[in-house]
Amino acid sequence: MEKRLIGKEALAGVAGELAGRMRVCAPLQAEDQVFFGVLAAGGKPLFDFANTRNAPKNFLFPRTETMLKYTRIPQGIVFAGEAGEGEETLLLGVRPCDARSFVLLDMLFDQEKYRDPYYIDKRAKTTVVSLACVRPPYTTCFCTSVGGAPVSAEGADILLTDLGEAYLAEFLTPKGETLRAAFGGTPAGEAEEKQKETLAAQAAEEIASKIPAREIKPILDTHFEDPFWDTIHRKCLACGTCTYLCPTCHCFDISDEVKRADGIRLRNWDSCMYPLFTKEASGHNPRPSQKERWRQRVMHKFRYYVDNFGAISCVGCGRCVMACPVNLDIRKVVADIAKI
Amino acid sequence: MSNPYIPLPVEVIKIVTEVDTKDIKTFRLAFLRKEDEAAFTYLPGQFAELSVFGKGESPVGIASSPTQRGYLEFTVQKAGVVTTALHEMEVGTAMGVRGPLGNSWPIDYLAGRNVVIVGGGFAFTTLRSLLNYMIDEGNRARFGKITVIYGARTPGLLIYKDELAQWEKRADVELHVTVDKGDADWKGREGFVPTVCKEVAPSSENAITVICGPPIMIRFTLPVFFDLGFSKENIITSLEMRMKCGIGKCGRCNVGEKYVCKDGPVFSLAELDKLTKEY
Repeated sequence: MEKRLIGKEALAGVAGELAGRMRVCAPLQAEDQVFFGVLAAGGKPLFDFANTRNAPKNFLFPRTETMLKYTRIPQGIVFAGEAGEGEETLLLGVRPCDARSFVLLDMLFDQEKYRDPYYIDKRAKTTVVSLACVRPPYTTCFCTSVGGAPVSAEGADILLTDLGEAYLAEFLTPKGETLRAAFGGTPAGEAEEKQKETLAAQAAEEIASKIPAREIKPILDTHFEDPFWDTIHRKCLACGTCTYLCPTCHCFDISDEVKRADGIRLRNWDSCMYPLFTKEASGHNPRPSQKERWRQRVMHKFRYYVDNFGAISCVGCGRCVMACPVNLDIRKVVADIAKI
Repeated sequence: MSNPYIPLPVEVIKIVTEVDTKDIKTFRLAFLRKEDEAAFTYLPGQFAELSVFGKGESPVGIASSPTQRGYLEFTVQKAGVVTTALHEMEVGTAMGVRGPLGNSWPIDYLAGRNVVIVGGGFAFTTLRSLLNYMIDEGNRARFGKITVIYGARTPGLLIYKDELAQWEKRADVELHVTVDKGDADWKGREGFVPTVCKEVAPSSENAITVICGPPIMIRFTLPVFFDLGFSKENIITSLEMRMKCGIGKCGRCNVGEKYVCKDGPVFSLAELDKLTKEY
């Protein structure tokens, strides 16, 4: 694996230049927030930021995505074609928690049977450049409790680690390797590797928020019915913010839109927090109140995903904790479950 | 990569209004491309997403049997946006079908055994597929005695009336049709499905029962079969949940860690016992 040192100013230039050759998505300042967005050619992405408000999963699994097109003929409406293919994309400056979410989403969308072509196409055309968290950005970060780490290459093709004067760039996969020339820089050696390891250990140490996420699976297995579930949902507004900001939530709805002779079928993010999510045409709803919906969210992330894929479906980014309008904190929920 | 979200184009070639309330119709669909017909291999108990372009999709059990070649049949109750649009369709309309989806009735497990089919109301659709599959000339010898207990609230709500009359004539099918309440013309049996099951009392010896119907019917029918000695492994049913993708991605039809769309819809009672009670 090739390692190189890249000057801080030089990296911004590399990003801007690459943006002229392919779609580069990177953290960008938007008023007082940072969002993942498409970088203009020659533009400068933000490298000094905590984390983006939105999770970058949007570029692999868009909030709204056309699945197919159809057209009206005299005897009805017939299929007219599949959605267009995704374009070569560079995701630059992805935090390790978010990069890890791609690995978790792969498990679902790229199963042996029933592969999801929209996700897989975009994933194949996307190169992920992670930016290690040498200083954990938030007090709400809890990546180390769910299997991640602030300095981690999981899910990345290239890992950038801020060594102070310059970035250590590790080209981890063949996909990442193809961009090595574009990144330039000078060869890095053992000293830099050591420095990175020290920083990684420090950063992991600094993650103060620790929750027993990996210990609650056996409790959830036996406590589907428990008075505990009667309490946590009470202040939930069912706004769905937690699921929309979540890098691992993958639920979607499929709907049709028609304008004159042409129509499209699209999928939009949906949320288990919404009453209509499971409501059947008969009126029956297997999850009739917010209690069942909250239980589903917790069970899905910490029990069912583990059953199906062997991993917790949470990367510990803390977005849901920060954005919840009523301060429902998944960390506290998990901690409370551990006490059942 | 094949795209499991793309519906296959079909044409409505026959529509039968099944009930006197006119809100349950059977649609016969023919593939517009020969290669799709050949590729669409299914077993009784599987379902498909019926695609009405401009309205959306609706998951419906396949009511025809794979032994009936050249078309698919779906019996649909008018309930939501898509099924209402379907009910307004006429013969000759083009639409889409996506599937087959889900598992099936456990045909290989049923083979060599006596099969008791119990159906209630409009939930008889994939049971009809199973029955027609088993009594097909090429298949009948694979299965033991076939008993069918089918009920609806009124005579007018019985579906597949022509076929009921044909099955009645067969010596190799023991058919019991019942209605909760008959009318002036009704000469058949009256009584709820669980009661009729008790009266018919099919033997549990080397037998499996396949049950599909409204929850209330299933609730009262299960104890009857327990009393008759059927084990939970030998009581099979099919679940319904709201679905969209049909392939275990969109995340709404799970019961515990299982997705009804891809791990089901068919489960034995023994399997259901291991899942969370959320359906």
